[in-house]
Amino acid sequence: MEPKWAEENLQTIRTLMERSTIYRRALAPIMLFAGALGVAAAAIGLLFHLDSSRQFGVLWLCTAAVVVVGAFLIARRQAIKDHENFWSPPTRRVAQALLPAFISGLCLSVLQLLHEADPEVPKFIALIWIIFYGLALHAAGFFMPRGIKLFGWAFMISSLSLFYILGFFQINFDLSAHWLMGFFFGVLQLAYGAYLYLTENGKNAA
Amino acid sequence: MNPEPFLQLDRIIHEKGRLAIMSMLAASLELSFTELRDLLGMTDGNLTTHIRALQQEGYVAIAKSYQNNRPLTTCSLTVAGRKAFAGYINLLEKIVRQNKPK
Repeated sequence: MEPKWAEENLQTIRTLMERSTIYRRALAPIMLFAGALGVAAAAIGLLFHLDSSRQFGVLWLCTAAVVVVGAFLIARRQAIKDHENFWSPPTRRVAQALLPAFISGLCLSVLQLLHEADPEVPKFIALIWIIFYGLALHAAGFFMPRGIKLFGWAFMISSLSLFYILGFFQINFDLSAHWLMGFFFGVLQLAYGAYLYLTENGKNAA
Repeated sequence: MNPEPFLQLDRIIHEKGRLAIMSMLAASLELSFTELRDLLGMTDGNLTTHIRALQQEGYVAIAKSYQNNRPLTTCSLTVAGRKAFAGYINLLEKIVRQNKPK
């Protein structure tokens, strides 16, 4: 018997066990769908000047709700197509990882949105949402392949940097919060979706 | 080197394909036949043969159901399967410890 044989076997078992817990459904359609809606919502916000806290909140919370429902439907369709369980253990793990950050972001923003008076509130909310979305992606990244964790880090670092620029250095650029939302939840997700679309090898199972 | 742990290794689990199936199922409550096939890159026939061997040994349970009017076959480890897999891992760890230079 080879002395290294047992060790290699244990390593193989570990790798296989990890692989079976990873969510592997194609993410490109979900990212492209979320990105397209993000761009559309930003365009609507800018076009119709939905700049008050309440208008901003309603627009983007409705967009988020549509994205969540749409993402579920896309994933479910993929599962049906592949003759697989939609609510599989990896799907459950990803959903559980996403929930705490999503709920925290939602609760914090609802509290802030009640303060109608301050015109800076939408910008603040946008940055909060970007951070919590980054946290959610990072948490889900433990059960997902393909650089989701890095994508989450990108959201968190960018948002924290903007917080510093706006708060610490008091550099107040005259930019609508819709631009921030459109860039992060629209353009970045579209870019990531396009990257996934071009590189995903057709593997599609969760 | 003491050959005793090696001789105790479960021959059914020890085979490469079946070990892979057991490893996958040990980490999940259940996996569908297609999930297992795609994850392990096995052919339908190969996977069926291995699963049948594991089922005959009482290590794997098969459940057949319908999802959206399509047949769905799911596999899971039985209690005996989990116990046998844990025993197999323990023996491997024993062999690794035994081979480590003192």
